[in-house]
Amino acid sequence: MSKLGLWGLKKSPWVYHVAAASCNNCDIEILELLTPRYDVERFGVVLVGSPRHADALLVTGVINRKSLPRVLEVYEQTAKPCLVIGIGTCTCNKHIFRNSYNAVGPYDKHLPVHAYIPGCPPKPEAMILGVVKALAKL
Amino acid sequence: MRQSEEKLKALIPEAEVYEHNPRRLYIRIPREKLTQAAKFLHRERGMRLSICTGLDTREGYEVLYHFSEDATGTMYTLKVLAPKDDPRIDSLAGWFPATGWIERELTELLGVEFPGNPDMRPFLTSDTDWEADRRPLRRDYERRGEKHER
Amino acid sequence: MIGWTGWRLAFSFLVFPGFLFSAAIGLVLTWVDRFVSARVQYRKGPPLFQPLADLFKLLLKQTAVPRGASRTLFMLAPMLGLVAMCLTSVILFFANIYPEGSFVGDLIVLVYLFALPPLAIILGASASRNPLSAVGASREMTLYIGYELPFLLALLVPIIRSGGSIRLGELVAAQQAGGPFLYSFSGVIAAVIILLTIQAKLGYVPFDMAEAEQEIMSGVFIEYSGAMLAVYRLTRAMMMLLLPLFLITVLWGGFADWWAVLKFLLIVVLVVLIKNTNPRCRIDHALRFFWFGLGALGIVAVALAFVKL
Repeated sequence: MSKLGLWGLKKSPWVYHVAAASCNNCDIEILELLTPRYDVERFGVVLVGSPRHADALLVTGVINRKSLPRVLEVYEQTAKPCLVIGIGTCTCNKHIFRNSYNAVGPYDKHLPVHAYIPGCPPKPEAMILGVVKALAKL
Repeated sequence: MRQSEEKLKALIPEAEVYEHNPRRLYIRIPREKLTQAAKFLHRERGMRLSICTGLDTREGYEVLYHFSEDATGTMYTLKVLAPKDDPRIDSLAGWFPATGWIERELTELLGVEFPGNPDMRPFLTSDTDWEADRRPLRRDYERRGEKHER
Repeated sequence: MIGWTGWRLAFSFLVFPGFLFSAAIGLVLTWVDRFVSARVQYRKGPPLFQPLADLFKLLLKQTAVPRGASRTLFMLAPMLGLVAMCLTSVILFFANIYPEGSFVGDLIVLVYLFALPPLAIILGASASRNPLSAVGASREMTLYIGYELPFLLALLVPIIRSGGSIRLGELVAAQQAGGPFLYSFSGVIAAVIILLTIQAKLGYVPFDMAEAEQEIMSGVFIEYSGAMLAVYRLTRAMMMLLLPLFLITVLWGGFADWWAVLKFLLIVVLVVLIKNTNPRCRIDHALRFFWFGLGALGIVAVALAFVKL
């Protein structure tokens, strides 16, 4: 990866939001994150509509037997290199759904995850911190 | 005494009414009288079906039909019990389309059968990663262990 | 052998005022767009190097061609728009710097060249083998049919006012002699029409239904990634430079003096402000707006131009 390209990736992470069997609480917080109040555009973060344009997949939700193949499909479609950032405690360790018959998490059993942001739901400030830390790791 | 309650008791003498509070009534009826009672509440009294609930209790599988009388704000719940060795309840889907998917869900997760429902395909559980006839919401379903772990 | 003229042409096409120069200024203008949008929304906005970071990042990403898509068309379609914009920049800049060098009919050539980026988008989207991009392509086609009519009617105004000339050099000279065509009723109406057409050509709200992000998942660009997407964005950046410059050339006196820079920035800021204060239209609303709203206005402008108003 060329140095210029890497610099570009750090300074301009375009995010795509994947909700896999989430209760939508984390999804609402992600929408709040993208409002003018938290101004993530100063980090270059832009919400894109297609996974092919994305550099960071913001995945939420305790992943489900039913949604697992779909999430893997979205991950395959995303143009590499891409980060995967798990938002919410459900992605880390299934949280309150740990004894469920349907939950197949945590995410890193199936996808390479670069950062987890715990919280139920995490505050937008925590999400910004997590994304910035994940980018610094690159 | 409420009009609907009076008329229902006149129609089905075996009904046992439990009044939890002035706005919530639980009416236990034998499962053979379900269609009659549901038709009475929905068509003649004009009540709206809110949702159905399925429970796995010691005496058997209990299915509750919550009807809401919007004019007075009262909830009439029909309680029907099906024994565990014969968990069948008459389907209401023939004349009441809203119960179609509710009954599909109850069969898929709890295992109560509804003979007469035209469409009994599973839809909540995964189509690729799940064997049919596993009833996960039963109390004796083994949620841990190798058979289940993923 | 490539003679002196050849090298000069290659330089004009590739460096100044062609690809490198227009792309650089275009990228700065995309930053201006994001900066003004941010300020309108009470926030800070991205830093100045942001468009460059976007470009470098896109160049390092994988380019994936969908299975079953038309491979050649998929890869070549973006280049069509880029080449057209490079050519447009050469013609437009030289019409302003060196008006005697323009040729008869170069206004018509420019109209055709400005039609090529939307065509490139349509071709690329149709080659993508994706139902959402097909929806986006059909919307872009409909939008193009919509705005080209009032655009041509508005272009009749400077043609009539300058005595029937279709040479950019003569239009600029006529404005330098007799005052910009904008300072008249027909000129103002024509400028408004061309401003709204610029909004639609750039694919900005309220006319961004071809690339609706939330609705059809970036419709026309849904399968593009990496370098090809960078080419599309670069084409849009160059259009952001060339379309307001075109408006200034035909209606506001051309680049006669340094006040023109302020005029140019004013048009860019107006486009961004319209983008920030409007919701997205539906495609049939947009078509009706362009044909019956702006089209009628265009006819009024042409009539006024005939009676020298």
